[in-house]
Amino acid sequence: MSTHTIVLGVIGADCHAVGNKILEAFFTRAGYRVVNLGVMVSQDEFIDAAIETGAAAILVSSLYGHGEIDCAGLRDRCLERGLDRILLYVGGNLVVGKADLAATREKFLAMGYDRVFPPSVELDEVAVLLRQDLAAKDEGR
Amino acid sequence: MDFENKRIPDERFDALRPEVLGAWPTGREVDFDEGVAFHHALPEDKRFPVALDRADAERRVLLQPRAGVALLEEHIALLQLLAQEADVLPTTIDAYTRQNRYEEAQKGIDKSRQAGHSLLNGFPAVNHGLGACREIIERVPKPVQVRHGTPDARLLAELTLAAGFTSYEGGGISYNIPYTKKVPLQKSIEDWQYVDRLVGRYEAAGVRINREPFGPLSGTLVPPFMSHAIAIIEGLLALEQGVRSLTLGYGQAGNLMQDVAAIHSLRQLARQWFEAEGYGDYQLSTVFHQWMGGFPENESKAFAVITWGGAVAALAGATKVIVKTPHEASGIPTGEANLQGVMATSQITSMLVDQQASLVALVQPEIERIKREVNTVLRAVKTAGEGDWAKGAVRAFAAGILDVPFAPSVHNKGKLLPVRDNEGAIRLFDFGAVPLDMDTRAFHAAKVKERAIAEGREPCFQMVIDDIYSISKGRLVGRPR
Repeated sequence: MSTHTIVLGVIGADCHAVGNKILEAFFTRAGYRVVNLGVMVSQDEFIDAAIETGAAAILVSSLYGHGEIDCAGLRDRCLERGLDRILLYVGGNLVVGKADLAATREKFLAMGYDRVFPPSVELDEVAVLLRQDLAAKDEGR
Repeated sequence: MDFENKRIPDERFDALRPEVLGAWPTGREVDFDEGVAFHHALPEDKRFPVALDRADAERRVLLQPRAGVALLEEHIALLQLLAQEADVLPTTIDAYTRQNRYEEAQKGIDKSRQAGHSLLNGFPAVNHGLGACREIIERVPKPVQVRHGTPDARLLAELTLAAGFTSYEGGGISYNIPYTKKVPLQKSIEDWQYVDRLVGRYEAAGVRINREPFGPLSGTLVPPFMSHAIAIIEGLLALEQGVRSLTLGYGQAGNLMQDVAAIHSLRQLARQWFEAEGYGDYQLSTVFHQWMGGFPENESKAFAVITWGGAVAALAGATKVIVKTPHEASGIPTGEANLQGVMATSQITSMLVDQQASLVALVQPEIERIKREVNTVLRAVKTAGEGDWAKGAVRAFAAGILDVPFAPSVHNKGKLLPVRDNEGAIRLFDFGAVPLDMDTRAFHAAKVKERAIAEGREPCFQMVIDDIYSISKGRLVGRPR
C-alpha cells in the first residue's frame, strides 16, 4: 500500500485545537503522511496545502457551529483549482445547536463532502472508511 | 513606547483611540462621557461588581450561563429567559467578531435573518453597535458581562462598556494562547493593556467595571498551578492599568480535593502576589468553571457532570460558577437546555454551600503544593522579565516556563504534558521546560507511576488521550479499555 498524504485542519475562525492534535497523532500512527494545518484554516489554505503535497484527502474539522458557513463551497473551489479527485471528509459539531445527525449529514453531503462525521465517531471507524475510499480512488485511476 | 507593565499615559491612550474606534463604522457611536453618565444612572442590581461583593459577603455562589445568538431580539429574549434562574448574565460574542472579522460576522447576521435562526455561535456586538448593546442592558434585569475569546478586544470593549456592560472577560494571555494561532503575545498583551486602561478610566470616573481573566485556558487537563500563574500575571497587568475589581478563574479538573484546593490557593496566592507587587485597594473574587472538556452526549449523564461542577464550586467557596448545559456535547444549546443547566446547578450549590468549612483542613497539603508550584513559576517569570511582568510573560512563553497543554498558539511550547493520577487529579507526565523543583518533580512522577502500575501500562501519550475523552465516556480517569 502506498503512503497517502492527508491534510488536516480546523476550518474558519475556529480555534478548537485538542481534537486536531489527537487526529494528527492518530493518523500518523495509522501510517499516513499527515500535513496538519492546525486551527483557523481557510478554504484556500486547505487547497494550497493539498496541491503542494499531492494529498489524497482533506479532513476538515469544525467544532464551533459556524461549519455551515465555513464549509460551503469547498468542493467547487477544489474543482476550480484542479483538485478534481480529492476526497473531502468533514466532522465535528457542524451546525449551531443540537441538530438531527441525518439532516446534518445530508446537508454536508449535498455540499460535496464524501463523508460526514459527528464529534463522537470512533477514529478506528474513520480509518477503515478512509482506507476503503482511498483504495477505491486508487483503482479508479 | 517600550513594551512594559506600566500604566499607559493619557496622551498615548488618546493617540491610539481614533484608530481603535475607526476599525468598524459603529466605533463612531462611542461617547465615553455619555457612557459614564449611563453607568452612574444604572441601578445597583445591574452592576456586576456589586453582585460579586454581595455574593462573597453572603457566602452564596452566583450562577452564570454562557449565551449569545446572532440577532438582537432573540438575544434579549434568551437572556430574559435565563434571568429566571441565573444571578448574572453573559453576552457571549461570536467567533468571527473574536477574530475582528466583522465582514464575515455581517454575513452571519444576514444569513441568520434569512434562515430564521442563528447561524453564529454568539452575539456580534461590534456589528450591532452601541444602541443594540445598550438595549441589552436596559431590557435585561441583571448584571451582564461580555464573554468572548478576542485577542484584540479594544473596539469591542469601547462599544460594550460605553453601552453599559459592567464586566469584561479576557486577558492578553488567556485570550491569545488558547484562542489564536499566530497573534504575537506582545501584541495581545498591549491590546489588553488598552482594555484594562479603558476600564481604569471608567474607574477614575467613578464607574467600577469588573475584569475577569479567562481561567480555564485550553480547558484540557491544565494543571492548577499553570492557570493560577497566568491568572495572577493577568491580574497584575490589569491592576497596573487601574482595574479595581478582579475575578480570577479556574476550570474544574475533576478531582474534588484538587479542585477545592485550587480555589483556596488561587485567592491566597493572588492576595500574596498583589500585595508583594504593591497593589492594595482592589476587590477580588473567584470563578469556577464547570468541566470545560468533552461532555457525554446523553443528557442525564451531562446533568451529572454539571451538578458535580456545581457541587465543587459550592464546596470550594467560589464567588461564581459558569454553568454548562445538557447540550454541551453537541455545541450551542437551546435557551431551554441552558436554563436546565442553571436550575440543576442552583439546586446543588444551595444544598452544599454551607458545608465548605470541614473540607479546608483536608485539602491543606494540596493547597501547599499548588502554592509552591505557582510561586516557583512566578519567580521564574519575574526573573525572565528582569522584574517586568509584561516582558516576563512573553519571554516565559518563549522559553516554555509558561506552557499551556493543548493550546493552538504557535507561541506556546506545548511541551508540558499532563496526565491524571490514580485518583484523577491532574499531574505532570512531562515537565517540558517548566522550572519546577526536584521534590515537586518527584511527587508528580510518583503519582503518575502509581497509576501506571494500577493499570499495568507505562505512562504514555495514549494515557493522556484516554484522559481527554474519559469524562465524555463516563469516567474520570481514562483507564485502558
